[in-house]
Order: sequence, then structure tokens, then C-alpha cells
Amino acid sequence: MGKTVIPFGPQHPVLPEPLHLKLVMQDERIVEAIPAIGYVHRGLEKLTEIKDFTQNVHVVERICGICSFMHAMSYCKCIENIMNIQIPDRAKYLRVIWAEIHRMHSHLLWLGLLADAFGFESLFMQVWRNREKVMDIMEETAGSRIFLSANTIGGTRKDLTKEMLVKIQVILDEIESDLKQIESVFLNDYTVKHRLVGVGVLTKEDAYKLGATGAMAKASGLKTDMRTTGYEAYGELDFEPIVHTDGDSYARTVVRIKEVYQSIDLVRQCIAKLPEGEISVPVKGNPKGEAVVRVEQPRGEVLYYVRANGTKNIERLRVRTPTFANIPALLHMLPGSQLADVPILILTIDPCISCTER
Amino acid sequence: MFNMITNIFRNLASKPATRVYPLQKREPFSRTRGRIDIDMSNCIFCGLCSRKCPSDAIVINKAEKTWEIDPFKCIICGECEIVCPKKCISMNGQYNTPAYSKSTSKHIQQTKVIQSEIKKDDCKAQETA
Amino acid sequence: MQTKYRSIRGVCMLENTIEISKDDLLSEVQNMDYNNYRFVTATCVDNGDGTFDVYYHFDKNYEMKNLFVKVKKEEELPSISKIYFCAILVENEMKELFGLNITNIVVDYGGHLLLTDDAPDAPMAKQQIVIEERKADV
Repeated sequence: MGKTVIPFGPQHPVLPEPLHLKLVMQDERIVEAIPAIGYVHRGLEKLTEIKDFTQNVHVVERICGICSFMHAMSYCKCIENIMNIQIPDRAKYLRVIWAEIHRMHSHLLWLGLLADAFGFESLFMQVWRNREKVMDIMEETAGSRIFLSANTIGGTRKDLTKEMLVKIQVILDEIESDLKQIESVFLNDYTVKHRLVGVGVLTKEDAYKLGATGAMAKASGLKTDMRTTGYEAYGELDFEPIVHTDGDSYARTVVRIKEVYQSIDLVRQCIAKLPEGEISVPVKGNPKGEAVVRVEQPRGEVLYYVRANGTKNIERLRVRTPTFANIPALLHMLPGSQLADVPILILTIDPCISCTER
Repeated sequence: MFNMITNIFRNLASKPATRVYPLQKREPFSRTRGRIDIDMSNCIFCGLCSRKCPSDAIVINKAEKTWEIDPFKCIICGECEIVCPKKCISMNGQYNTPAYSKSTSKHIQQTKVIQSEIKKDDCKAQETA
Repeated sequence: MQTKYRSIRGVCMLENTIEISKDDLLSEVQNMDYNNYRFVTATCVDNGDGTFDVYYHFDKNYEMKNLFVKVKKEEELPSISKIYFCAILVENEMKELFGLNITNIVVDYGGHLLLTDDAPDAPMAKQQIVIEERKADV
């Protein structure tokens, strides 16, 4: 039987970022998939060795636009651990509020792209209209829609006033009521279910062995969420990781929609418990030592390793982003599926290729 | 099938979510980071803003009393505003307009103000003498 | 928060780190697999004096365990991708960006994963910086 090789990407209407897959096909079924990345490699890990350790917060923030706040937060935590700095309590709660709002924005973006991937453009627009409200919150509180630049070593740079907290609550109520209608289209509509149920099944053992993180692991039955280890203010908040056992694309959609509701609930808890006080402490001297920090980004678990040698430049920064860990799982899911399901499969891992390649 | 019916009726009854730009412009929020402005009369040319800038967009010449910024390199992070000891750098909410070619924006501190101060001191010295 | 560090002579080091030689690497990693550890990632640091420090990070129930191997520039390091398939991407990246000599990777990109053909060899290793500084002085 003859085999055809079809190139998928790097430019494709469904992909948010360039990724190239060589699909070896037999009739309509995929036999093998070989990825090729490297279209957005900018060498940011090398750039951080040249800039000061305080200027690096801005470099690291620009690794990715969809998970930018968590990158800056992880870098600041690494340097704070090396230099033994304790940040004030109000700064911890503020960081959690911005991180959860950022997570909501990322999941709403993903939901819209998924609707666009199976051709449902009007649903895509409805979801992104809600995302605009979240971006307005971010611009009003931190100054910019995507690169918040609200983190600094020793705390945060901006504070939230009482009027802003009231306004955030009002907008969150609007988003929640809108999302209840949109959710019933995603989860109960006949045509949408036909495209998602049973597509790209990943079993629990495979997910653990291949190192899948984030919603991929949670939808396959693994109960793993870095926020339960209690960094920043998460130790004082009340939540449980959301787990589903089916392991297909429908389960991942359910997990991500429920995480949006969970984020809204976490922001409300934080606003109720926000303590008074300072928002940052002064930083003196240079860091010396090494540290590893893991944080829950919208896509999974990110690992930051920093080694510093006592000068104002750090020696090495290593970032392992969650999409880097989910790509082997994608390569495992692709063989045996139909060609028309490939865009859906690539989108269910929530690819953030600029994070992967830095 | 009737999941979105309330949403549809609400959309039909309310005004569109988009605005007719450029007839109606959007007002920026008070904290929006748009571009960098400087009040040159207070600048002491200490060089802190130039050292802190992550993208090396600010160039200072103390001898010629000039403060130059390249707005196409500036990433609008706000570090210079925080670190300035005289608080003469401020963040404006309006974004830089696009242009056909890249250029820098140079500010020169006028020395007329300082000369008139010297004259006043001379008069005072003559009066007391 | 999984940052664990202890102070030796005032300098922070990573805790839960076992130093092993490169000959024991495969047997130690097999041990990790039997004990149900999940492979997180591998890190390579260039010391500047001709040696590389390679860390392998593993995780089980939010507890991290690291294996630490010191190799010289030209020495061969065996690949762990037969035991953990998910290590192929990170080993290809280390081979390409640092020039680390890793043998028998299951899917070997041959130096074309991230860099183009006209890019410099091993750009993350330390020598490149030294040469550029000298040029700037002249």
C-alpha cells in the first residue's frame, strides 16, 4: 500500500503559532508523525546572561504572551529564594489575583480557538467578547493588556484600590453568567460532541510515563496541580484540582471550562481575604547560589532553574515550559487518527510554541 | 438547540459592542502605559534611567545636556519612571503613533533659566555688599 | 512551592541532589523508573573551564529528586530516551545548543531541531561571549 506524506503547517489557519508536522498517511489514517520546531527560537536564555538580574524580569515576561505573568512570577520567586527575601502578605495575595485573572484569559482564548478549529465561528466570537472584559480588567489595574509588568523582585509594583476591587467583582459576575450559556453549547451540542468525544484518548499510565502536565494529565485521571503545594497565598485558599477520567478531547474541554469557574471563585476568595500592608520590600546586593521553582501555568507545570554567581548578571537560566512536556504525548496520540482530527488534537494540548522554543 | 436564546435576544436588543473608530476614540485608563514623557527642567542627568532601561532606549549626554529616547526600542515597562530621583519622567496614556521610518526623540535642557538665576544672585550679592 | 536549598559555606545549593558518574547514569535512571518517578527535564550548565554540569530532574508526589553528572567537553554521555521517551526533545536541544555529545538518542534530529544551517555551532556554550568581547575591545 502506498504512503503519502502530508506537511501540516507551519502556517495553518488553526494554529496560533508556527509548528510543522510531517504526517505519514495511509488512506485517511495517520501512521507516523514527525514534528519540526524552531520557527520562533529567539535565544532568550542566552539574553538573560547579558542583562542585569533586575532587568531580566522584563525579558522573561516576554517569552510568551498568553502565560506571561506566571513567567515573571516564577523568575522573581527563584531570585527571592536565592537571596532569602520574604515578600509581604499583601503582595502574595495580589500576585494570586493577577495570576488567576491571567489564567482565565488564557482558557477563554483556548475555548475560542477550539470553536474556530471545528468551524463554529460565532461561538468563537462570543467567547472572545468575554475575554475582552478580562483584558479590560488587566489594563485598568496594571497598565497593559498582555504584558502586565506588575512583578518585581521583592513584591509587586502596583496596588489595587477599593474601587478597582469592586469593579473586578462586577465584571466577574457578568463573565460567569455569560459563560453558563456558552458552556451548555460546548458540552451538550450534538455536532460539537461528535467532534470531541473519543478523539485522542490518552490513558492514565501513558500520561504519567510521557510526562504530560496540566489539563492533559488532569483529564486522564492524574490528580496533579502545583497550586496545592501552597506557594504564594494558595496555601490559605480553598480549592481542589479538577479531575476527569475519560482522557479524550471532550474531557479536556470540561476540565478547562471548570478551571475558569474555579479561577473566578479563587479571585473572589482573595478579594475577601486581602490584608493591608506594604506591596514590596527593598532589594540590596547580588544573588549567589542556585534554586529550582515550579509554578502552575495555565498549560501545566513550568520549571525554572536559576544559577547566580554573586555578580549582577546571572550565570544560567533554564525554563522548561509545559508545552515542551506535552509534545511527546501529542506524538503518541496522533498515529491511528483521521486527518480531519489533526487540528483538534493539536489544539487540545494547548500549544504555546513560543514558550517551547524561547 | 435553544441554549443561547437569551444571548441572541440580548444581542438583538442592545447596541453593538464595537465602536466606530476613528470617529469615536477610546479613552485610555488612568494607569495605561502608552509612552514616556519627560519634564526637562528638573532633570539632573544622573543616568539612573539609562542604566535601568532593559532595552537601552535612553541615551544621556551630560556635557551637552541632552536626554534622548528611541521610542521604537522602548518596551514601556515603566522602570525609568520608578527610579528617577527627581520624578521628572511620567507615563502618558496615549500610544506612540506609527511612522514611516524610525527616529529618536531628543530633549535638550534650556540654559536660559539657570542664567537668570545667576543674575538674581549677583544682584543680591551687590545689595548686601 | 518546591524550592529546596541548603547552605554550604553561605552558598545555596540544590537539595535532594545525588552526584553520580556518567557510567552509573543508565542504572540510576532505571532505578528511578522502577520507583515510579516522573521525568521532568534536564538542565545543562557550562562552567567555563571545559566541563558541563548536567542535572536530571525527577518528581514523585510533588517531591523532587535530582541526579547530577559532571562531564568534560568531548566525553560521551549515554541517552536515557530508551527508558523515558519524553527525554528526546530535551536531549536533542542540549546536543544542539551546547555541543554535548549524547549518543543513541531514539529520535535524533542531527542538529536541526532549533537552529538553522547558517547558525553558529553550540551558541549557548561560554566561548562565544569571550570572542565577542575581545572584538569589541579592538
